Amino acid sequence: MNVGTQSRMAAIYTETSRVLFALLIALSLAFVVILIISEDPGAAIKALLKGPLSSTRTVGLWIDEAAKLTMAGLAFALVFQARQFSMGAQGQVLIGGFFAGAVALSPLGATWVGMPLAVLAAMITGAAYGFIPGYAKAKLGANEIVSSLMLNYIALNAVSYFVKAFYAPRGELKSAQFPPTSSFPALIPNTRIDLGLIIAVLSVIGVWFALYRTSWGLKLRLVGHNPQFARYSGIKANFIMVSAMTTSGAIAGLLGAMIVQGKAFGNLAVAFEGYLSFEGILIAIVARNHPIAVPFVAFFYGYLRQGAALMGIRTDVPTEVVAVVQAIIILLAASSFSVPGKKLVRKLFNRSETNGSKIASEGQQK
Amino acid sequence: MAPKLEAIGISKRYPGGTLANDAVDVTIYPGEVHAIVGENGAGKSTLMKILFGTEQPTSGTIELDGRPVVFANTRAAIDAGIGMVFQHFSLVPSFSVYENVVFGSEPRAGIAFDRKRAIAEVRGLSEKFRLHVDPLAKVSSLPVGQQQRVEILKALYRDARILILDEPTAVLAPQEVEELFVAVRALVAEGRSVIFIAHKLPEVLAISDRITVMRAGKTVAELQTKDVTEHALATMMVGRDVALRVDRSKADHAGCVCTVSNVSIRNDQGTEQCTDLNLKIHSGEIVGVVGVEGNGQAELFDAIAGLLAVTAGEMTLDGKNLLQMSVLERREAGLAHIPQDRLASGLAAGASLAENMVATKLGDGRFVRRGLLNLNAIAVFARSLIDRFAIRAAGPHAAAATLSGGNMQKVVVARELAELPRLLLVSQPTRGVDLGATEFIWRAITSARDAGTAVLLSSADLHELLALSDRLVVFYRGRIVAAFVNADDLSQETLGTYMLGLKSQTVQDMQAALR
Repeated sequence: MNVGTQSRMAAIYTETSRVLFALLIALSLAFVVILIISEDPGAAIKALLKGPLSSTRTVGLWIDEAAKLTMAGLAFALVFQARQFSMGAQGQVLIGGFFAGAVALSPLGATWVGMPLAVLAAMITGAAYGFIPGYAKAKLGANEIVSSLMLNYIALNAVSYFVKAFYAPRGELKSAQFPPTSSFPALIPNTRIDLGLIIAVLSVIGVWFALYRTSWGLKLRLVGHNPQFARYSGIKANFIMVSAMTTSGAIAGLLGAMIVQGKAFGNLAVAFEGYLSFEGILIAIVARNHPIAVPFVAFFYGYLRQGAALMGIRTDVPTEVVAVVQAIIILLAASSFSVPGKKLVRKLFNRSETNGSKIASEGQQK
Repeated sequence: MAPKLEAIGISKRYPGGTLANDAVDVTIYPGEVHAIVGENGAGKSTLMKILFGTEQPTSGTIELDGRPVVFANTRAAIDAGIGMVFQHFSLVPSFSVYENVVFGSEPRAGIAFDRKRAIAEVRGLSEKFRLHVDPLAKVSSLPVGQQQRVEILKALYRDARILILDEPTAVLAPQEVEELFVAVRALVAEGRSVIFIAHKLPEVLAISDRITVMRAGKTVAELQTKDVTEHALATMMVGRDVALRVDRSKADHAGCVCTVSNVSIRNDQGTEQCTDLNLKIHSGEIVGVVGVEGNGQAELFDAIAGLLAVTAGEMTLDGKNLLQMSVLERREAGLAHIPQDRLASGLAAGASLAENMVATKLGDGRFVRRGLLNLNAIAVFARSLIDRFAIRAAGPHAAAATLSGGNMQKVVVARELAELPRLLLVSQPTRGVDLGATEFIWRAITSARDAGTAVLLSSADLHELLALSDRLVVFYRGRIVAAFVNADDLSQETLGTYMLGLKSQTVQDMQAALR
């Protein structure tokens, strides 16, 4: 094994142990909360930890959610690597999903082109919606955080208006089911595991390839590392920035198609996005924006979310307890703590032996 | 004579395990200028931070007038009579000089700020120590040299008996250095002590009474200035013999590589930074750009590199119009650029060495084909540069951030000189660089020149410009006010008079050296 791979392995090892340690702390705190509020804490903890594995159906729920979380994580990881803090995934998912649904419910949707065309429509419209804050930043200097968040609200309200006005029957909040030619087939019958899982796997490979094997990806990462250096090197930072946001929009749009065309919906519903997109931020942060790490984080986190949902349904502990876990993981993963181990032990012993050097060792802790 | 301040066996270990100071001993006597010299990372700054109370030593003691003291914070050090002037000033630009000086310990009349007394005291101090500066002037309107005086006055106003000056001459023109030295002598004549930290050895020899040499966190020698030579001092600092001598170009100016004609440049705020510049750089020569910082040199460099637009005029490289070209096209045409702040704009610390080395060559078919990276070719290229420039790194895939500062500098130099450039822009090649690295960078520049590269060099260090350049042009307020063919009788003082705008050459005189 050469030195490069060795150091990479070491980095993976430290990152993984960091995340697992964060998870451990977060879960123990969640247990404390459960112990305080629950009549039957044993059942609640059991539902949280083992719930997702209790039946084929729940396993399906978990895998399906993990696939969707992976897509959301990829969308954020891509813009974060270019150090663009575009928060527009939610809007792009909604727009993409809406247009996928519009194609599926059109006459074309009932033909064999229905499914690919709907997916393509979602990607193009999602990309276009991602392009807007990028272009506004490049040309007008508009802050991408603000503009992308505002675009989310526009998408949220516009999509629910159009769904209600044109697609949902009067008094209902969702359209009729899509024709089978436009719905994703299940990979495992009677579960939610569908074509979306394959799309997610391909997307992970695609984003990894784009970032680490193409010159566009190298430029994108260089812009993210040091924009001043990128400019000095002759990299067109504006182009990279806009194209990163646009590509991220395409991924989010694809997620939109996965949601509406997948087994979970198969129709066009109001607010189908369910605030899933923003979970992508947590996943990207914990995965350190690395596309290969994203699905692993998504699987763990998806499990936790499913466990919490089942705990909310089956026991007296509300689903929101998992927000505690989420908050602590973000806090710990985003801060650069290191896993305490031998060092801490040594420090504790030193402290008790030599009180004289107390000031010095306190200075060191900073 | 009893020592005024004594540091005994000071050690400082940072949390990362770095031993910045290792049993350092320094003795400061009253009424002396004590220079502390050493390369970057030798531990000078850490020691000063400990003496000024911003850092706590891991072990060791500080004695003031023979009594052990602990400076828990800066306040304690100031109260004990220690003052420090940092390289980066801590002044409020929108306040006047006297306000800055008394800020934090204002004279009071009742509860009101006694401005009259403050002004009088500041004026008194500035006359006594020959630190001439108008107490009522706004700090933002003052040149750097005068701002430095304000900093010194600030320390003296708090009655500093020991004044620490951290690389005070780095920002000054030669005449200003002389004025600073006059003030320093006035201080020590009064029985105060000055600790003078510096890189430039001639200045150290000119001003100090005694010298402490530091290397790799240890004190290696404490000497009387009159007993040492510059060469001996340099050898002690680096730990081996260094030869900071460069041969002048023997080139016969084969041909003109780059022309700058009637160029004017405005900055983002719309103020004119460069006016009507005319300059030619020939193959195989180094043209030195002289000037106090902020007189348009940086803007000219940025404009040639393609980072700043030109308002008027023309620039060519090998006869081709530079202004029409993108940064990438300029680089492909043979332009290389070693920027002033190499770590901030010459590298991406989070990216790998290999990625840093090809960042400027992403249009090159060897490394990128149909938009795909040729990872093998990139790694081979990076490995060859690592060998050729003796960069100490784990390998081409190590992150640039894992390298030491000197090796990061080498990465930038290696990338820019990987292929022989036609035109090389170099800004402040040795700022913040120790002697060993200075030697390396100088050699890299001169060997490129000897191979036929045209070099445009800008530096705040006149010694460096005189050592390297074949011709020199002096910038003042965005104009070229003088041009010289470098010769042994050309002195720093001569350049200084033009740098400060005290004199300017006639057009005929300038033409002779502008070629």
